[in-house]
Amino acid sequence: MPCTSANSNPKQSGIASFGLAMCLAAPLLAQTSRTQHWSFHPVQTTERTTGQITELAEILDTLISKRRTAANLTSSPPADRHTLIRRLYLDVHGLPPTTEQIASFVSDEQPDAYARLVDQVLTSPRYGERWAQHWLDIVRYADTTGFEVNTPRATAWPYRDWVIRSLNNDLPYDKFVFEQIAGNAPGSKLVHDHVAATGFLVAGPAVLVGQIGKDEPSRRQAQQDRLDEIIKATGSTFLGLTVGCARCHDHKFDPVSQKDYYAMQAVFAGVRYEQRPIPKADNTHQLANIQAHIASLQQQLDAFEPIAIVSQSGKRASKQSQSTPPVPQLRRPVTATRNIERLKPIEARFLRFKVLATNSGHEPCIDELEVYSATSDTSPSKNVALASAGARATSSGNYANNPKHRLPHIHDNKYGNGRSWISNTKGSGWVVIEFANQVIIDRVVWGRDRNRRFSDRLATQYEIAVANEPGKWQIVSTSSDRSSGKSAPPHPNVQAKNLTRDLGAAESKFAALTKQSFVFAGQFTPNPKPAHFLYRGNPMAPREVITPAIPSVFGAPRITHTVEHERRAAFARWITSEDNPLTSRVISNRIWQHHFGIGLVDTPSDFGAAGQKPSHPKLLNWMARVLMDSNWSLKHLHRIILSSATYRQGSQPRSNALRTDSTNRLLWRFTPRRLEAEVIRDSVLASSGALDFRMGGPGFSLFVPNTNYVRVYVPKTKWTPDTFRRMIYAHKVRMEQGGVFGAFDCPDAGQMAPKRSRSTTALQSLNLFNSTFIIQQAEILARDIDTTKRSNAARVRQAFRRVLGRVPSDSESRKSTDLVAKHGLSALCRVLFNTNEFLVLP
Amino acid sequence: MKPVSSENLNRRAFLSKLGLGVGALSLPEITIASGRNAQGTHHQPRAKQLLMIYCTGALSQLETFDYKPQLIARDGKPFEGGPKVTFQGENGNLAAPRFAFRPRGECGKMTSDLLPHIGALADEICFIHSMKSKTNTHGSGENVMSTGFRLDGFPSLGAWLTYALGSTRDDLPAYVTIPDPRGVPQASVNNWGPGFLPTMFQGTPFSSTRPIRNLARPNGISETSDRQARELLRNLNEDHLRRFKNDDKLLARMASHQLAEKMQRSIPEIRDLSKEPASVLSLYGADDTSNKTKASFARNCILARRLIEKGVRFVQVFNGAYAMGEGVGNWDGHRFLEKQYKIHGPILDQPVAAMLTDLKRRGLLDQTLVVFCTEFGRMPMFQKGATGRDHNDDGFTCWMAGAGVKAPFTYGATDEFGYRAVENVVTVHDFHATILHILGLDHERLTHYHDGFTRRLTDVHGRVVGDILA
Repeated sequence: MPCTSANSNPKQSGIASFGLAMCLAAPLLAQTSRTQHWSFHPVQTTERTTGQITELAEILDTLISKRRTAANLTSSPPADRHTLIRRLYLDVHGLPPTTEQIASFVSDEQPDAYARLVDQVLTSPRYGERWAQHWLDIVRYADTTGFEVNTPRATAWPYRDWVIRSLNNDLPYDKFVFEQIAGNAPGSKLVHDHVAATGFLVAGPAVLVGQIGKDEPSRRQAQQDRLDEIIKATGSTFLGLTVGCARCHDHKFDPVSQKDYYAMQAVFAGVRYEQRPIPKADNTHQLANIQAHIASLQQQLDAFEPIAIVSQSGKRASKQSQSTPPVPQLRRPVTATRNIERLKPIEARFLRFKVLATNSGHEPCIDELEVYSATSDTSPSKNVALASAGARATSSGNYANNPKHRLPHIHDNKYGNGRSWISNTKGSGWVVIEFANQVIIDRVVWGRDRNRRFSDRLATQYEIAVANEPGKWQIVSTSSDRSSGKSAPPHPNVQAKNLTRDLGAAESKFAALTKQSFVFAGQFTPNPKPAHFLYRGNPMAPREVITPAIPSVFGAPRITHTVEHERRAAFARWITSEDNPLTSRVISNRIWQHHFGIGLVDTPSDFGAAGQKPSHPKLLNWMARVLMDSNWSLKHLHRIILSSATYRQGSQPRSNALRTDSTNRLLWRFTPRRLEAEVIRDSVLASSGALDFRMGGPGFSLFVPNTNYVRVYVPKTKWTPDTFRRMIYAHKVRMEQGGVFGAFDCPDAGQMAPKRSRSTTALQSLNLFNSTFIIQQAEILARDIDTTKRSNAARVRQAFRRVLGRVPSDSESRKSTDLVAKHGLSALCRVLFNTNEFLVLP
Repeated sequence: MKPVSSENLNRRAFLSKLGLGVGALSLPEITIASGRNAQGTHHQPRAKQLLMIYCTGALSQLETFDYKPQLIARDGKPFEGGPKVTFQGENGNLAAPRFAFRPRGECGKMTSDLLPHIGALADEICFIHSMKSKTNTHGSGENVMSTGFRLDGFPSLGAWLTYALGSTRDDLPAYVTIPDPRGVPQASVNNWGPGFLPTMFQGTPFSSTRPIRNLARPNGISETSDRQARELLRNLNEDHLRRFKNDDKLLARMASHQLAEKMQRSIPEIRDLSKEPASVLSLYGADDTSNKTKASFARNCILARRLIEKGVRFVQVFNGAYAMGEGVGNWDGHRFLEKQYKIHGPILDQPVAAMLTDLKRRGLLDQTLVVFCTEFGRMPMFQKGATGRDHNDDGFTCWMAGAGVKAPFTYGATDEFGYRAVENVVTVHDFHATILHILGLDHERLTHYHDGFTRRLTDVHGRVVGDILA
């Protein structure tokens, strides 16, 4: 793996002017000098780290102004309120403020107007959606595996939702980190809330098991690559250490040896790229309620079923005599899930269900046979066939030696193939239920598999008989008056229709609550194979066994735990320890980076010797300390930064300052910057009013559905409202770009992306000017404005307000009105979505 | 015209870096002097342009260009010392190539009857028989051939080139990738993606059958509406720009609209083959009504030539698509190799040969390096119970032609059965280093810092294969 030369300037990209900048040619630094590197120093500051937000913001401003003043630069005057609120919303929410929010802030004359606004944006759930995107970039989250097949990871999204939720809840950053590395501790109470957190470990691309070569080198290589992804991600994301460098040799610039690398590998050796079941919260009570509701609905609905008609011979009367008026209603066809036999109330001690034929010819199967007493004044209807009600079952014979299919299962109040009875005779068999007492019954309910998995072995011809004394059978229902159609016609009765609908809803709810759901957050092998040192990183050249450990430079004790989870937990505890010099610095820098567009350290995932030095080291130390002293509250840090005068400066360029500091590292103004792909898309939707604010869940796709085993991702060109959600809920397809916004430097989730490039290309211009997405949103916005009849000038004003958050100047208004008069309001909306003003964080 | 100030020079460098070209941008605020190829090369290039033919699915070296008499002699015999288990599992016996070899060209190079048209041009070709990759998995293998890394997310060769050399024109993308008419290759965008380089350096995919997305004026919007909308956009942006004192980035975005407009004219024009004479269509096989895929691929090859003619820096033509059933969409002949190759051979052969011939007669081969490659090769034995070959990354054949390379020439060799590269081994890194060298770039100096690493196309490897340079 190439590393960078210590004296090369990372900003210098393109043709490197420093000659060879590669690992093997680079000078080795002495171990001692490497540990003296700034980022390994303890986090210390002489400034106050607790107190009022305003006081802390002033400290921040002082730390900035020292360097600025030294360079003979002054800060810019504060941004006007229009600019400020737009900046704040786009930065913190990734969405523009609404016209109402702007109006209210601009006219707010209270001295704490801005402070309240900051509170407001930080408490909104839009904050988590926006800042989660920054995190997902770093950890290269995607909803597909990557590589050639690029199969969907359909259960990855709970991790994305967890990140959003954790940020919104201001989960202390140390816990946020711990859960991602070592969540899912067996027996932990947090299991349910944080079950998806370890999605971090397996967020990277991985060759699917079926795609790995069967030869030994291929298999070992694949396993090494998977572990390498975890180690690289852990090192870069939390520590800003490019540990991956040490896979093949000792790190040339940072104090990470190749041995350290394999010791880290030993920590994570038990992680497998698999999904795991999400443990359920205890919902027994809720389930029982829904079940009772279903039973009640079912009973009401059953009352609409016709009563079974039986002729003396057991055949339907109508078939025997043409003259019998009128033909009785045929009953519904037999289904595998549930069949109801309504009877005229009849007294019985015994009930016999006799199967005469099955649909598949196999031995018949009944999962549950229910017999209900008629409702009376003294007692409600109940299932009298249950063993628990004292009933006994006998049969013609039982399927041998299968624990799933036993006679007691036919009246155990449990549904499904796994708790059913099967006869021992092909196509036939009978069961007799003897009730505890003689009882008046009016319903029999039975099925083959209520859980809807199996539909073979279904009794298609049968007869049901009752008796009060053994042997004296009276047939009460048969299959002969059932229609032979495939499915039941809908109920003609309105009330029955409503009941059917309610029943369906209740059943879906029950199914959803009982369904096992999964999350792609890794499975863990309790006792993984020992990790070996690999000579030059070659998986075919293993050397000595390496035990798990924290990189030795940090002087932490070795990890002696033998339990897999304990190893990860020990590692996570070390990362989140206040003594760790890197963790708090790295995250504070990331927060700064996303507010100002560039970090104090411009190599946000590399705080090593090859990375950049901080532009304001004291400020970085202070922020890191403030963060830890606020119990790792990220929102606290946001609030201080947003409240600072540095953040609230205007963004106008000044030529003298540009000459001294063209890149604005000294913060003499707020640097305007082009919005990211997600913000542009979300802002278009917000401006048009089409944005769907639903949060969480599996999300939507920007691509046409495809099922080829090597997935082919063709971008959609038709957009339905289900795609009008925020882009963070779009399936992230590794390597593929969405058809419209991919060109705006969306990271591809192949490698980690701690910062994005901001390029300007003709393709971006084409996508934003011509795509069906933009044209459609322009039309939606135009229609929305057009609902009230107004003059063209008023419509133009409204369009400017909606898209740019301001009213047009006279000349803008004149030119725009001209376009609207000739080509309609949507033509103007299309233009506004393409303006530089719309696309830039001001 | 304003005098060229240092500020203007910066702006010019900035714009050219954006791949926006430095043609006449007639913005009121700025006039940029015309110039080409603003970024420097490291040394005198031997070729200015690159045309790549990429056969996906792993084209068998044994059925095409790597003649192995011993393999023919030992047909059906066990492969003593050969690998028992390879990518898909167990193997059977050695198997002679399914197509006969005969001498071709003045040089008498032995090539097979599968690709007779290409073989006939042997005198123009520099064969490299000793290629070696780093993986035997298709997706990772395509990644290696296109980016130098097995993993996803690294910049493609074309992105590196565009990053280094910029664009030669302002009305066409610097880097065009032409997917096979049957579909995109397995690793899809990885083959032409920007990786962690800015997206502006990625290949722009389009073909004779597939237009650029969002290039055309949207349905339902009239030409005048479109023009006036652009005018208003320009006006609004100019007002805004004044407030930001001619900020370079805002200016660049405005320039990008102009470039987009130019592309709206130039791309349909270059995709329009209707003015190509019948003789050209028939030279390429684009008029072959009996084989539609071949005719479409031939049209892609004509498009490639037209793009090279217009000065596009890098044109990449894919032959073969993703796997749509084994060996159906590409060269992945595991089970019924002969049957499958009889389908794929004719699609590839005549169009590619015609493209070479056509470039040569137009004098374009003097400035264009042509590279023919695949992600890896195939095994000398058949798979157990099958009549096809498994993946083999230890030895395979690629070739080059045109500017910068010796021809006719043969470099490197595999062992007697064509299994392993044994003589003058050329790794994919070496292959890349050599391509960059011919285009005037030093692979060790073409770098980009990303996430803690100063990255190169060639990782920490690669040597220029000096012996094949003309």
